[in-house]
Amino acid sequence: MSNLTLTYQYQTKITQAIIRAAVLMLEYGAESKLIEQTTKRMGKALGVKSVEISLIPSAIVLTTLSNTNQSVTTTRQAHHKPINMSIVYDVQRLCIDLEKFELGAEKTILLLKQIKPNYYNKWLIIFMIGLSCASFAYLRGADWPAFAVTFVASSIAMFIRQQLAKHKFILIITFATTAFFATLIASLASQVSSTANIALSASVLLLVPGFPFINSFLDAVKGYLSMGWGRWMQATLLTLATSMGIIFAMAVLNMKGW
Amino acid sequence: MQDVIIKYILDAIFAAIPAVGFAMVFNVPKFALKFCALGGAIVYTLRSIFMDLGIYIEISTFLASLLFGTLAVYWSRKYIVPRPIYTVAAIIPLIPGTYAFNAVITLVEMNTNGVTPEHISLFIEDGLKAVSILGAISFGLALPSLYFIRYNRPII
Repeated sequence: MSNLTLTYQYQTKITQAIIRAAVLMLEYGAESKLIEQTTKRMGKALGVKSVEISLIPSAIVLTTLSNTNQSVTTTRQAHHKPINMSIVYDVQRLCIDLEKFELGAEKTILLLKQIKPNYYNKWLIIFMIGLSCASFAYLRGADWPAFAVTFVASSIAMFIRQQLAKHKFILIITFATTAFFATLIASLASQVSSTANIALSASVLLLVPGFPFINSFLDAVKGYLSMGWGRWMQATLLTLATSMGIIFAMAVLNMKGW
Repeated sequence: MQDVIIKYILDAIFAAIPAVGFAMVFNVPKFALKFCALGGAIVYTLRSIFMDLGIYIEISTFLASLLFGTLAVYWSRKYIVPRPIYTVAAIIPLIPGTYAFNAVITLVEMNTNGVTPEHISLFIEDGLKAVSILGAISFGLALPSLYFIRYNRPII
């Protein structure tokens, strides 16, 4: 049993490796159940008896217990970053690899440091999001001029959103500004189309915080109530910010309602 | 009959586009994009079929995401991919964004223009719709994995 000779230093290394993986998953938008499962599996694979984890939206507390009940506890802050599924996927893959091969804690930390997102081309995303919102408009029964206006409005909005994100504005400001410009541009639809209100409402759909909303429900039904509330709050704030942007734009245009 | 099938196919294509578009924003790995597209088309078509059968939108959404959630568990075991990677992007076409924005806009309008009974009923209607559809989506997605939680072992 190698576990009996687990030194305090090595257990600390193991704990560092596990919490690094957990923080990555929390920051980039994994649901709580996945974070807990992954840390427990990594702990088992690295040779500690158990891993206990406590999650709140802004931090993680994690304890590892060895066979001799020697325990190491550590806390890390988590900062909210844009959702990134490729990082979550890579961490999960690493966890599965750990179970298959004996990598050791140092190697695991090294591999975690190497995890980098593979971003898609910026212009491709702008085009796809424009097309996505236009598709939403189509699904609601917009005519082709409204389809085109939605495409232009949400493409430009996505460009603005990316620029603001690049300059590290917080999400609330980004969402409000983006919604403002999206609504301004989409209001042009009233000149060319009879379904202008669909263009107006579809062009801001790129700002729907679907991920936090779904994650918050999933967390809550699986027993992580505080995480669920935290994510619900975050999603509500983003919805509020978007609505403020829309309202400002409607005030500028002197419009009423969608 | 043919018209109906063509309409379903067109709708499925236009539902698959946003699933892929949003998957790219979430930076889903490239190989998983096809699951997102297929998933988006499947859930949207399922929901339209249920709604055309005369079932309420909430129940239709729940059934569609329940079926998709089951399929997602199967996929994730077969291809060893964690489910959130493609499930959340795939259900994007179902998310009640307009209802949510409408509710908040009404709320702010009540603050500026004064509260009227129409405003209150609009706010409650839109808010309830948004929350219940969201709940239907997430319960549908979560139920298959809750079924597996009782063994207390990971799905992949």
